[in-house]
Amino acid sequence: MLLALREVIRAKARFALLSGAVGLLVFLIVFQQALFGGLITSFIGAVENQDAPILVFNDQARSNVEGSFLLPAQAEAISRVDGVADSRLIGQNTFTVATASAPEDAVLFGYTLGELGEPRTLRDGRLPLGPNEAVASAADADKGFDIGDTIEILGDDGPTVTIVGLGEDLRWSVAPTLFVSYETFEAAQAAVNPDATVVLPSLVAVRPADGVDIDTLTDTIDAQVDGVEALTNAEAVAQNPGVQGVSSSITIILALAFVVVILVVGFFFLILTVQKAKPLTLLRAIGSPSSYLVRNLIVQIAVVMTAGIVIGVGSALLVAAVSPTGDVPIEVEVGSVITTVVALFVLAMIGGAVSIRRVLRIDPIRATADSGRTL
Amino acid sequence: MKIAVLELVRRPGRFVVVGGALTLLTLLLLFLGGLLDGLFLNSTGAIRANDADALVFSDDARQSFLRSTVDDDVRAEILAVDGVGEVGGLGLSLLGVAIPGEREIADGAVAGYELASGALPAPPSPGQAYADRRLEKFGARLGQTVLVGPAEVPLELIGWVEDTNYLLQNGLWVEPDTWRSVQTTNRPDAPVGAGEFQTFIVRSTGTIETDELIARIDSATGRTETLSENDAVFAVPGITEQNATFTAVIGVTIFVTGLVVALFFALLTIERQGLYALLKAIGGSSRTLVAGVVVQSLAVALGAYLLGALLTAGLAQILPPSVPAQFELGRAAITLVAVTAAAVAGGLISFRRITRIDPATAIGAGA
Repeated sequence: MLLALREVIRAKARFALLSGAVGLLVFLIVFQQALFGGLITSFIGAVENQDAPILVFNDQARSNVEGSFLLPAQAEAISRVDGVADSRLIGQNTFTVATASAPEDAVLFGYTLGELGEPRTLRDGRLPLGPNEAVASAADADKGFDIGDTIEILGDDGPTVTIVGLGEDLRWSVAPTLFVSYETFEAAQAAVNPDATVVLPSLVAVRPADGVDIDTLTDTIDAQVDGVEALTNAEAVAQNPGVQGVSSSITIILALAFVVVILVVGFFFLILTVQKAKPLTLLRAIGSPSSYLVRNLIVQIAVVMTAGIVIGVGSALLVAAVSPTGDVPIEVEVGSVITTVVALFVLAMIGGAVSIRRVLRIDPIRATADSGRTL
Repeated sequence: MKIAVLELVRRPGRFVVVGGALTLLTLLLLFLGGLLDGLFLNSTGAIRANDADALVFSDDARQSFLRSTVDDDVRAEILAVDGVGEVGGLGLSLLGVAIPGEREIADGAVAGYELASGALPAPPSPGQAYADRRLEKFGARLGQTVLVGPAEVPLELIGWVEDTNYLLQNGLWVEPDTWRSVQTTNRPDAPVGAGEFQTFIVRSTGTIETDELIARIDSATGRTETLSENDAVFAVPGITEQNATFTAVIGVTIFVTGLVVALFFALLTIERQGLYALLKAIGGSSRTLVAGVVVQSLAVALGAYLLGALLTAGLAQILPPSVPAQFELGRAAITLVAVTAAAVAGGLISFRRITRIDPATAIGAGA
């Protein structure tokens, strides 16, 4: 083992270069994952962090909250399905609002106060107790959505809402989000659609009765109520069109980065092995077993990967810590970092497999015949 | 140079590894480019299809089609602006589309419009629609009547149009009253009044700069936000972020392509040091040897590109319609240039190593 480490110490620049390259790739992977996590939360935090276990959509909305609305008859039918303990209307729309400083986009989620659809991540203040009060996404406190701030929904006699609480991870579509009473939502809708004769809910929130399986109940609702699609909260998050679009793009990007790690590590150690053909052949000739040489190679790959991972993860953590809180927060999650590190180690070993194969093929007799460069 | 070509012809197996890696990277580049183009074109087609010099939104909409409302009063004020040629309304409704014989509901963007353009014929009769050809992938055929939204408003498909989608929803182009009927019937909570649209398409007389036209319109109405066509395209939610992300990924992939070629030819050079020394000893110049490496890297890149392009063409045939990839010739040409340039740059990395080879080592007199 000592031989491998001594080589690393003597050829610092070469190994530092590779560790730096691997570190850059690790940084890209971890940082993209962190950005992805933050982006997803900013896209769907409001649905993920409300307390209804089941959300019922219009089946033509294709899991898109913005495209969903339910007729009164459908909402009534949902409430009568066997196994439904409680059901409440949820309204959602994006409005132009006036804050103290400037006009902004804001998403309103209207729910029955004290009932299903309530935000679960209150950090400061309190939940709304009556009309024209709101819990806002904490990430937007400095944009004019802090406790005590008032927000006017622009339109014909749009309601003015006072922020009474802040909740973590409550954004929707990367926009400031307000949880208000359903009546406040209706008033906002009426303000921007003065000719409308009705305000329709976007979703119906459902709580199953005790002992009723949640998946069975979603199937039952789909079967018994025409034109609706019931989803568990987790399904509503995963099937959101925005999340799906981002997921597929990021999956391709990350897969690409992992392939690059294999290629870079594989080629580097292949070059090293070829360069070291003569000394490796000599070592075999004087009695070093192949397994010893392979262990040296594996140790060097491990050293390079460890250094690269320390550089990469450290850089990602540093950048995440010092990055200004922009529209999309950067969230480095321990679980995904551990999974990534393990995957990178395995892939690096796969990348080094060609070199290992070359080492195993070394014929000691060549030490007496030629340069050994033909291994 | 000749030796390099002969080596390629007689020992192609030596280049299989780098060729395979480059083929994979080309496939990734073309796929990423196709995805970027598909996402961009299918999100913005409805805006670009109108040949607009400017689009007028209500000033409280913050450039959102779905929150904007403009009416006949605004139209009259725009028409009175010096430099304005034509004004036509445009409104969009995002709703599901039931196609006869298909189980899955397709995404639809029903667009009510007034002005014909290069991409759009004059508006059809009430109850009829021109459909974006992408809807064909979801099973739609001309002559069929599709049902739009939960209220199942029937629309007869009478012709195809190209590149007219909005936010990845398939465009269905109808005359204004049909659009209002589709919107109001399906969304009674967000009806559209007579004469109302979400935006006005403005075409200038050609005697005025777009910036000046925009300034005059907003000044005349006092309650609109007017954007150039390009600004309206990039105001579509997510377009800017999407373009930036994919462009960065494509850039990194091109860099990696160069890196792979560089690593491969560095390895090849090390393996052939003895041979190069011999060639130098009998009069071969470093320049000739480097040129040989560059020719080989170029040939490998071109071969890999061809294979990657064929694989991409095959992939395009089996992609489900929900994947919005769109493969454009322009993107293919840019990718070809990028891959070959990266390969040549990668090959040149061996330049220093080759020039440092001492011909004396050919007879064992080297250091």
